[in-house]
Amino acid sequence: MRNFSSCCIKQEFLKKWIKGLQVCNSSTTCSKNKMTNLDRKKAIKLSADIAMASTRNGTTRWSNAVIANATHSNGDNNRIFFERILGGGDGGGRHCPEHCGRTKASRSVSSVMHKKILKKSRRVCSRTVLGRKHNLAKTHSIAKKLVRKKTQVLKSLVPGGESMDELSLVVETLDYIVSLRTQVEVMRCLATTAELINGT
Amino acid sequence: MNRALPEMLNCMNAPGTIIAGNCTDMTVMERQRDRMKWQKCDHHDQQQQQIQYNFGGSELGGVFSLPIHAQGFHGFLGGNPAVKPDPSSENRWAELGFGSCGLVLNNNGTAGLEEMGNVLNNNISKTFSCSPAVAAEKRSSDTVLSQKLSLPAGKESFKKRKADEVQSNKAATAESDSTEKRMKSCAEEGDSKITEQISTKNNNKESSADTSRDNSKASEVQKPDYIHVRARRGQATDSHSLAERVRREKISERMKYLQDLVPGCNKITGKAGMLEEIINYVQSLQRQVEFLSMKLAAVNPRLDFNIDDLFAKEMFPTCGANFQTIGMSSEMTNSAYLQLNPMQRLASCGLDMGLNSTDLALRRTISAPGSIPEPFLDTSCFTQDQPTAIWDADLQNIFNVEFQQGRSSFQSQPFTGSIEGSNLKMEM
Repeated sequence: MRNFSSCCIKQEFLKKWIKGLQVCNSSTTCSKNKMTNLDRKKAIKLSADIAMASTRNGTTRWSNAVIANATHSNGDNNRIFFERILGGGDGGGRHCPEHCGRTKASRSVSSVMHKKILKKSRRVCSRTVLGRKHNLAKTHSIAKKLVRKKTQVLKSLVPGGESMDELSLVVETLDYIVSLRTQVEVMRCLATTAELINGT
Repeated sequence: MNRALPEMLNCMNAPGTIIAGNCTDMTVMERQRDRMKWQKCDHHDQQQQQIQYNFGGSELGGVFSLPIHAQGFHGFLGGNPAVKPDPSSENRWAELGFGSCGLVLNNNGTAGLEEMGNVLNNNISKTFSCSPAVAAEKRSSDTVLSQKLSLPAGKESFKKRKADEVQSNKAATAESDSTEKRMKSCAEEGDSKITEQISTKNNNKESSADTSRDNSKASEVQKPDYIHVRARRGQATDSHSLAERVRREKISERMKYLQDLVPGCNKITGKAGMLEEIINYVQSLQRQVEFLSMKLAAVNPRLDFNIDDLFAKEMFPTCGANFQTIGMSSEMTNSAYLQLNPMQRLASCGLDMGLNSTDLALRRTISAPGSIPEPFLDTSCFTQDQPTAIWDADLQNIFNVEFQQGRSSFQSQPFTGSIEGSNLKMEM
């Protein structure tokens, strides 16, 4: 059952990816630019990412963030591009970017505030504790610091992770890892076959 | 809220009962009071509430530090479990996801009772356990009631609730879990203790009179999604720590899933180590995606006909005419292939492309060229062609075979496919 569903996801991803590539190619032929390797790679990666995100149909934050980043970074020229790729799943994707942007901004402010509060509390904590308690608190605070650092790094990795609290971050990471995996698998298959066929 | 305070004081004064409690209690109380009013309490109930106020006030004495649990308290106040809580607070609780946090902040409002139990009676016979299973359950009424019963503190308000709890417990047993049943059994035991401990208070009769009404109301209005958390023995029971505990447990649960997902995480127990592994894994996956996209870009000079190139060259060596049609209406034909080949083949776990693609090619050439221009990515075309049945059968076989054989074995097959393809080329 799980394999079947993952295959469905792969199918869907592949469908959308190829659609995106087609669109991309048509747009480039229209503009009559010769694409360099790098451009091609970017286009491939972009369409793959968007396809992956659209398989989630706007249910997860990271997928919305990916779509939002993609649409915003490329401007209005490629809006059609994205719309064609996203197709049915566009409804969710289009609404969410605005939300994501807004919530991101608002939450970043609060997260900054939280950080300040945390820093203060840590300073106070380290100052007031004495003796054995001091050591214990120190190690505890160090551990906490470490965890916090790591969480920050993870937040930077997962798209749209900056504005998530811990629990949702973990959930989103789970989902993101699963979709990254399927993406890698499909791409690898494609790459190997392409290699084989072109190589012979 | 302030306006309610004098009113409450008046009420408290009226029956000549002693006003106990600090101002903090009063603020909690007055909020509860307000809620009661909004939700149309019985006058009779109100009297009860007033009287019970005093007990609550004396006992609470700063135990509660929660600002937003008036919803739960109203039940405590008036023993009016049927009163509906404000939907806004409900929603908030739903969002928070942990509802009552052991304070049992539901309509029945046993939160206060639990707290009281802790405060009054340090030798709590029942160890409260904050099991995530329980926390995950969002059936407030059952657990709330059983929690109510478990409190050994002897208050006449307890008795009142006990009666109606028993009744609603009976009503709720149908839906209750095993954990809940356990709790209920504990509650039954506590029940007897409560009856013993019930002191000679005036309102026994009144409370018993009320219970029937309360029961009916309780059965009517079943409260929604609260997550009940029980505090473990010796642990802090204020809402903040309970809430944190619930949160932490949720996080650790999710981290366990992550552990299964990320390879090599089984041995690591600490949060920092786990996070480190997860970060490494995510980074590696992202790098892989980058690398593979670079590879694909390098392998194929043209973007969108990636798949077409892959298959077209191989697939149609036999039929020159087909090739031309492909060349002219390449988009259409390739789309058909796109449709058939990548999704059917790549969708399966391994890649059995070589073998099946040649079969595909042959069958495709057999079928009329007219069928080639098919709608892009239209799955309905599967039904149109005769060979599709065969392909599907093939796919099924592949599917089964692949799962058995695993991925590595299929590496060899593409080679055979390509060899066959080249043979076909030679023939023509």
